[in-house]
Amino acid sequence: MSLHIAGTGWVTPLGSGIDAVWQRILDGDRAEVSQISDPLGTESYPLYRVPATALQHLPPHPRLRRASGISRFAAAAGLAALAEAKLSPNDIDPDKIALVFAVANGGVIYTKRFYSDIVATGAEAASPLLFPETVFNAAASHLAAIIGLSGTTYTVVGDGSVGLTGLKVGEDLMSDPNLDHCLIVAAEEADWLLCDAYAKWRLLRSVGPLEVFGKTAQGTILSEGAGAVLLSRTGSVAIAASSGGGHFKARHEAASALSRVLKKVGSRDDAIIVSSANGTFVDAAEATALQQVSPNGLLYSPKVALGEGVGAAGLWQIIIGALALRHQTLPVPQYPRAQNPLPNDAISLEGRDEVTVLSCGLGQQIGAARLSRSQH
Amino acid sequence: MNVTNNRVAVTAIGIVSPLGIGLPETVESLRTGRDCVGPVTRFDVSHCRCKTAAEVPDRGSQPILLRGGRDRLHPASHMMIRALDEALKQDPAFSPDLAVIGTTSGGMSFGEHYYRALARHSGLHKAPRWIANYPPQKPVIDALESFGIESPCHVIANACASGTNAIGHAFHCIRSGNHTRVLAGGYDALCELVFVGFDSLQAATPEKCRPFDADRSGMVLGEGAAVLALEEWESAQDRGATILAEITGYGISTDNHHLTQPNPSGIGARLAMEQALRTAALDPDRVDYINAHGTATRFNDSAEAKAIAELFPHDVAVSSTKSMMGHSLGAAGAIEAVVCIAAMQNSFLPPNINFRGTEDDVRLNIVANESKPHNVRVALSNSFGFGGTNASILLKAAPP
Repeated sequence: MSLHIAGTGWVTPLGSGIDAVWQRILDGDRAEVSQISDPLGTESYPLYRVPATALQHLPPHPRLRRASGISRFAAAAGLAALAEAKLSPNDIDPDKIALVFAVANGGVIYTKRFYSDIVATGAEAASPLLFPETVFNAAASHLAAIIGLSGTTYTVVGDGSVGLTGLKVGEDLMSDPNLDHCLIVAAEEADWLLCDAYAKWRLLRSVGPLEVFGKTAQGTILSEGAGAVLLSRTGSVAIAASSGGGHFKARHEAASALSRVLKKVGSRDDAIIVSSANGTFVDAAEATALQQVSPNGLLYSPKVALGEGVGAAGLWQIIIGALALRHQTLPVPQYPRAQNPLPNDAISLEGRDEVTVLSCGLGQQIGAARLSRSQH
Repeated sequence: MNVTNNRVAVTAIGIVSPLGIGLPETVESLRTGRDCVGPVTRFDVSHCRCKTAAEVPDRGSQPILLRGGRDRLHPASHMMIRALDEALKQDPAFSPDLAVIGTTSGGMSFGEHYYRALARHSGLHKAPRWIANYPPQKPVIDALESFGIESPCHVIANACASGTNAIGHAFHCIRSGNHTRVLAGGYDALCELVFVGFDSLQAATPEKCRPFDADRSGMVLGEGAAVLALEEWESAQDRGATILAEITGYGISTDNHHLTQPNPSGIGARLAMEQALRTAALDPDRVDYINAHGTATRFNDSAEAKAIAELFPHDVAVSSTKSMMGHSLGAAGAIEAVVCIAAMQNSFLPPNINFRGTEDDVRLNIVANESKPHNVRVALSNSFGFGGTNASILLKAAPP
């Protein structure tokens, strides 16, 4: 069974539109760091936000009237992926497309609002309008309704590697010959509560910008948005191998788990790697694993430009891998070890047919995928 | 494209629910129609309309002796570890190449502790522990790691259908030849946010939980965990595993009517049940028992009853075991699959307790109030959830 990426879409802190954001990444642009504070203003955290202009082309829909940011990001990315494949919701046979929605923290903004009313006032203040939006699969339900899908819809949950889990679940679903497509969408919305939690988890850096592969792990910076990939039977980039939902028990075991998953997907010693380095323990774990499996690889870490998109991050990496193959170009690489001088420009991948995407989340999960240029 | 239709065996099950810890206690509770619903003890419900739930006995959510210290884990992790422990004791050689587990709220109560500590500006020294054990994949990883299982885990959060979706997806993965052995199941632990949420929707009842009763007034929440070891049939036979049951069909549909309410026509439920029957190549009249979703809310039961009556013209026996153990959300589908297997293994129909009678226009053969001896060969288990997600699985008794 050969599966291909037939469409991509994203909403990121660098904006939306596949080509526009890709060009900014190639230009070495980084999203702007903003600050977000708790309601009392006692704590402030750096954050990469999606600019308001990124959603200007999202068509109105009754399901999105009260929906939170995560649902809007997901809808915009999902519809963009369908559009790139020249499919509109009206053209789709609702029984022949599945939806896999990957999410990490879910609708954190409405969840916080709902529970804060309970804490502040009591259960009698709980809003019946907010509660349904706190459920993990609320955003998937909205997107399914917008597309008019009537068959399989799965919401899969996990950490920053959950996009890779979603890809694997999508691959498993596509073994059903009755399916033509599987739309995989991954999304995240940011909030001060999330930043506070990651800070108390000692994984957040106090000031921007985000840096990776430093001598010491300074922490990450959260971001928000969505990515979408349409899996089909044909397309310009094939999923040569994928693995999602792998796990490790403790952080010191992350490197060996990453080595295993790199070998599992067949990463070459000189692979082109799209990494998940984010300024935390992940960097050292990836560096060790890559040294073992792909020591002569070239590596790009998109979180330097886009921040740690958690639920959205894995699919952003997949999209960047697909774009690198499509355009035969890798954005300015980073190196997990001393290697100077660093190139200042994107480099040509002329003649290279494969990219490996590696993802290590902060919640003990990992995933990887090997993408290849396809003949279609 | 390589299309296979592998048969799928169940070689082991493990369960932790308000009905009991482990299968023997569960079967005894089902046989006797034990009402496990009582006052909520986990958090304050004095300002809620509903004040009851079905809680897992304390020993079910406390650590069992395994390698390493586990007292910092979420209660949901302990329930998952216990359920997996029971399954692996039945089939110690079962080594999954994938785990697919359903949940709705993960370690939500730890998130609540964290938020309350933030609000009162004290007790935050425990925050790293709460945050690390809050994510929904954590109880699954804890359980797998406790037994040295390295297989990937895919955690499905499709609201109240999660557990059935997890089993159904695992079934699909084996049937299609993508995997040989998959651990499937679901878990959820009671938490304040979800309890108050259903209370705010007035979906939870202050009275008895009476699924399909004409005077039903709403659901009661529950909690628990259950796992099923699924394996490609010939692989299980070749290694001499005891086969407890067979999963023969799976159906899933998405009903876009409303975020929280099913289409009143019952079309979502009907499509899921029809697809499960079609996958199994089975006529509806071959089904002996339906473990209904049966939450006891007015809209859900009405839509499900309509779909069942239309699709099963014979008087198939129907019960909602949520009447005894409440609605355990992401765990419900997995627990109810185990209930179906228990019914097939022990030849009885689990009861729908607190039942007095349906509306005049509802045509269902409810297993009212007491279990009944019955040779159950084929059972259908339904789960429907928020977001319009509907799932049904078909189970068949193992050959004698």
